[in-house]
This record gives sequence, structure tokens and C-alpha cells, in this order.
Amino acid sequence: MYDGPDALQKVIGAPVTRRRMLQLTAVTGVSAFLAACGTTGTGTSAPSGTPGATVGRSLSPTASATGTPVASATAGASATAVASARADATASAEPTAVATRAPVSGSFRWANWVGYIDRERGPRYPTLERFTQETGVTVEYEQAVDDNESFYAADLSGPLSVGQSTGWDLVVLTDWMMQRLVARGWLEQIDTNGLQNYPANLLDAYKTREWDPGNLYAAPWQSGMTGIGHDRGATGELDSLEVFWDPQYAGRMTYLSEMQDTIGLAALRLGFAPETLTQEQFDQALAEVARGVDEGLVRQLAGNSYVDVMALGDAIVAMAWSGDVQGLLVPDQGAGQDFQWVLPRQGGMLWTDNMGIPKGAANKAQAEAWIDFYYRPEIAAVVEAWVNYVCPVKGADEEMLALDPALAENALIFPTPDMLARLHPFAATDLDTAQRWQDAFADAIGL
Amino acid sequence: MSWFRRHPTATAYLLLAPGIAYLAIFYLYPTLQMFLVSLWTGTVEAGYQLTFNFGIYPQALAQYSDHFLRSLLYGAIATLLTFLIGFPLAYFIAFRGGRYKSLLLFLVIAPFFTSFLLRTLSWRIIFADQGLALGPLKDLDLLPEEFRLTATPSAVIAGITYNFLPFMTLPLYVALERIPPNLLEAAEDLYAGTWQRFRRVTLPLALPGVFAGTLLTFIPAMGDFVNAELLGSPQSQMIGNVIQARFLRVSDYPTGAALSFILMAAILVGVFIYARVVGTEELTGGTS
Repeated sequence: MYDGPDALQKVIGAPVTRRRMLQLTAVTGVSAFLAACGTTGTGTSAPSGTPGATVGRSLSPTASATGTPVASATAGASATAVASARADATASAEPTAVATRAPVSGSFRWANWVGYIDRERGPRYPTLERFTQETGVTVEYEQAVDDNESFYAADLSGPLSVGQSTGWDLVVLTDWMMQRLVARGWLEQIDTNGLQNYPANLLDAYKTREWDPGNLYAAPWQSGMTGIGHDRGATGELDSLEVFWDPQYAGRMTYLSEMQDTIGLAALRLGFAPETLTQEQFDQALAEVARGVDEGLVRQLAGNSYVDVMALGDAIVAMAWSGDVQGLLVPDQGAGQDFQWVLPRQGGMLWTDNMGIPKGAANKAQAEAWIDFYYRPEIAAVVEAWVNYVCPVKGADEEMLALDPALAENALIFPTPDMLARLHPFAATDLDTAQRWQDAFADAIGL
Repeated sequence: MSWFRRHPTATAYLLLAPGIAYLAIFYLYPTLQMFLVSLWTGTVEAGYQLTFNFGIYPQALAQYSDHFLRSLLYGAIATLLTFLIGFPLAYFIAFRGGRYKSLLLFLVIAPFFTSFLLRTLSWRIIFADQGLALGPLKDLDLLPEEFRLTATPSAVIAGITYNFLPFMTLPLYVALERIPPNLLEAAEDLYAGTWQRFRRVTLPLALPGVFAGTLLTFIPAMGDFVNAELLGSPQSQMIGNVIQARFLRVSDYPTGAALSFILMAAILVGVFIYARVVGTEELTGGTS
């Protein structure tokens, strides 16, 4: 039914790409997709090989949950899941060989991005509620991250540089930022002892990230793409990055305040490969960004808040993240608005956001319990179907297709081979270069 | 008790002590600390060292002179606008308010009951390109399709004007309210016309209010960053936005601190000149 993976397998052979990625050190993205295919390709007929079958504890009610196939994803079934979870917990009283964890309770504070988990009006977060029902751990969930640098500077660097805790127990940040935090020693090591699903269900592609061997610091949350978000009603069809420098849309577009995304797209337009960006190429791309700002083409530089500017109709073209348009903009679009996300002809950016536990977090065990919960394929599948990003969890693709076969057609969740060929991670630079580029970028955008 | 009588000066200082201690701890010390921060070199991760790098001052000033000039311009225009709107308003409340005086004054302060941020954000929605205000006008072809209010310098200035209007209106009201009615009657008795009476009696007596209102508006307006952030475009960023970004985006504390001190110095010099011109002398001269 979904033949993307096989097609992709043919387009890019896994070993080749993996070697190439290693050279680039920015391993995450492309290979993530490869592995995503790998699972389906090499996967046996067994549905979602969850290791949850091992006798878990309160942390891992998966054994029974995975047993009930698709329905477990619906709200109605969660009650049965809870019931069986309890049964499990009592059953697990008998001694087992598997390391077990003490049950946790209490709560943890989680900083995430807008529109990054399934949500209903209220706002209510069904998956978080289900987690609370099953584990007793409540989640203080806040959409606190608008972009990496501002969250880092406002919430992390101050307290962490003087050895204080940040008040957050779990943060979701992009791979290059996680790399910086790992290098600073500002993340707690995830204690995977006794975790049933993490890292067992992590797709292999994510296991080769040089900066996080063993995946002990950064648990991938979503992978996604950066491209063109536009209101097709106002702009017609678009597929070229030229649009971001087109005077026709002056004052009606936004660039991203993420240096990697904006510079990456500018570089692609100039024909440079973002994964091997040199200083000279960076300077040229930066000059193009500065021109867009100075000539008044850009209405605003925004983090995730670009969706608000688009929803208002103030911007009709935006540098946009793949899932946002479908998940956040389309459901509420007004009369005459027709939001679309396209991967530009010249290519787009590829990245991975990760869950990490900041040093000194007070509720580490609770955050770990959540990570393990998310890595159950049927949980990840529910989140994915809502957020429209690419999932790092093994077996989630089958769960998703069982949930709704139409999702196979969703190129945001299952990018086509043609799209994969046009996606690029941003260059992995040393920290000094990264800092210099961030500075230069801030300067160019008028700050 | 008698000790306090015999030492009036000591008593005064004792009474002042809590205030002085408070200011010393929460104002003076942080200010000194910030000044030292501006002389650091290094990065937040690798650690900072106090190197007395005074060179950062001319460097920061040169790099961000555009932002300083822009802030000065926006702040000055907004202050002038608040005066032009606030003076008639205060005048009306003070002299024609009658029994509604308290209600009218309450209405002036009423916006403060809603968060500053929320009000500014709602402007963005009301004045969106196709929003409540502009949408219908564009549909009627009264405005060109590409016309916009938000993400322009005018929107930033209008936002500052709106947000700081009460700071101008209230001191003006206090000054006008205190003008004894018999002085105005005397002016009339001496055959002063309405305009002359206003120019030679009311306005000079209101000057302390003008002075206070201008300072209360202009100083925070210069350093404001919320309006430029929410209502401006990348080309209308003010010095406050740069300082904010240096601290909370780039983690470049020394430049942020240096810019803060340059701003502080610029405002102090400006206020000093202003006080000389509009003048303390005239202020006291008016009442003596």
C-alpha cells in the first residue's frame, strides 16, 4: 500500500548515505528517512515489534496495550488500556530478570513548541491525559519555545552557566542546539535502565549521531522539513525559493528567526549545499537575507509565531515548517484562505527536534517515564497523525496506517523519494563558527 | 524621644534609611554590576572575564547608531503626540469635568487594567491587513489592496503613543487642576481674551505638569521594545529590541549592558538640557 520506502531504498542506498552523513556529521535527517523505510522494508509481518511484552511495571503497560491493535489509539479504548495496565502492574509483582523501575508519581514541566502534540479545544492534550491516567504523572505542558536561540538565552544559559536548575524537566530543541547543550555538559543523561521502549524503539538512523553515542542525551521527538508555506488563494501555485526575494510579495512574507533555516533556504536558492556550507557561501547567503530585510521584503522575522502572522492574513508567503501548515493553519483557515506547504524546487531543510532533560531537573524520572511512553508505537502514531511530522519511533508507521490508511498519502509524514532527494541538513559547524554565524545573522536581521 | 528631638538630622536619615537601603540593594548595586558586565569579554558558555574593555562603548554606538536615532525619533514623535492628545483631554477633565471628573480620570487609567502586552497584541488583530479596521475599507476600494498599518514605523509610534498616553495625561491634569480659579478670573478682569488668558496664565502654570509628563513618557518610550517587536517590521526595530536581543537571544551580555548605559547616558543628557530650556527656573518662577 505504501511503496515509498522501497522506492527510496532504490534511490539512495542506505550504506552510501549513511557514510556520507557521517562525513558531514549532521547525521540525523536524511538517514532518519532511510531508516524509516528500512523498518518497513526489512520489517517482518509481526505488527510493531514492541518489546513491551517483557513484563514491565507501571511504566510499561504496553504489553496489553499493543495487544489491542488499532483501537488503542482512540480515546474510548484508553480506559481498557488503563485497566489492563493496572492488571499488568499487579502481575509484575513477581520477580523478573528485566530491570524494573520504581513507579513514579508527581509531575514534570515540559517546554515544547506550538502545535507539537495532539490537542483538542480547551486546550486539552489527549495523549498527555492518557499518560497521566496510566502513570499517575501529571504534565505541566507549556508551548514555551518559539525558536531555539531565544529559548536557550532566556531559559537555559543563565541558570545552567552558574549551575542552577532551569525549572524545566524536559525541553524539545533542534539537533544542533542539543549538540551545543551536550558539549556544554548541560543535559542530564537519560537513565534508560528499565525503560521498555526507549531506546529500543528508536529508528536505527538516529543511532549514529556522533554527538550523542548511545542516544543517552537527546531522544528524538520529530523530524521535519523547512520549505514554503503559502496561502494558495492569494499567491497561486508556488514552488521556487525565488518567491522569498520577489518584490511582488514585499511586506507580505516572513523569514524564520532560526539562522539554520533561513540561511539554509537562502543558500539553496544560490545553488549551495547547506550541509557543506563554507564561510564564503554563508556570507553570500547572509547578504541575500540582509537584502530581503533591508529592502522591506520581509514583514517580520518570526519563530513559530509565523503561523499567527499567516493566520491573520498579514503574510501570505512564509518560510514554514512542514507540519504546522496542516496541523495549525488549515483547520482554522478563513474564507478565501487556502494554506499549503510545498518543498521548494531547489530543495528544503531537514532537521530533528529532540527531547532532553536539562541539568539539575527536579523531576527527571517523570520525564524519562514520558519519553518511554512516547516511544510506544501506538502512542507515537496518534501524536504523528495530528502533528504531521516524521516519526522517529520504530513501528509507528504500521500503527499509523492501521489508524488511517489515508495517512500513507501524507507526504509530510511519509516524504516521497523525490522529496527526500531534495532535503538537506544544515552544516554541522564547530561551536565557535556557530556562534559567529548566529551573531552575524542577528545583525543582518536588524537586531 | 528626646534624643530624636535633639538630633533632627539623624532622625531624618533614620526615616530615610529603609528607602536608601532599598535603592542601594535593588538599584545601585545592579547598576554597578551591569556597568562591570559591559566591561567583560568572553562568552556565556566559556565564561566572562573583567578586562575593562572600554572599547566596547564606541564600538556598540557605531554599530547601532541607526537604532539609537530611530528610538530618539520615535520617542520624540510619540511624546509630542501624547502631549497634543493629552493636553486637551486633561484640560477638559480639569475644567469641564464637573461631577464626572473621577469617572473620566478612571477611564484614562482604565486601559491599565488589561495587560500592556495583550492590548498591543490586539492592535495587531484589529489592524491586520484584512482585519476589522482595514478589511471593509479595502473591500470598498477606499484603500489600495497593498496598504498596511501594522509592521510600519507609524504603527510603532501609534502604539507607543497609545500605551503611554496616561503617563502624559495624569501629570497634566494634576497641574491644571491646581490652578486657582481666581487667577483666571483676574485675567478676565484685566481684559485678557480667551487665548491670551490661556497663553499667559493657564499654560505657564501647567508647565510643571508638561515637564513631568514629558519625562514620564519620553524616557520609557525611548527604551521601549514591545511596540516595535509586535507592531514593527525588521526595519523599525528600536534600541530596546537590540538590548533585548543581545541579552535574550545572542547571549552577548557585554554589548547589551554597554548599550543600556549609552541609552541611560543619552537620556540623562537629554533630560538635563531639557530641564535647562523648559527650565526649573520658569517652573519656580511661575508660582512665586
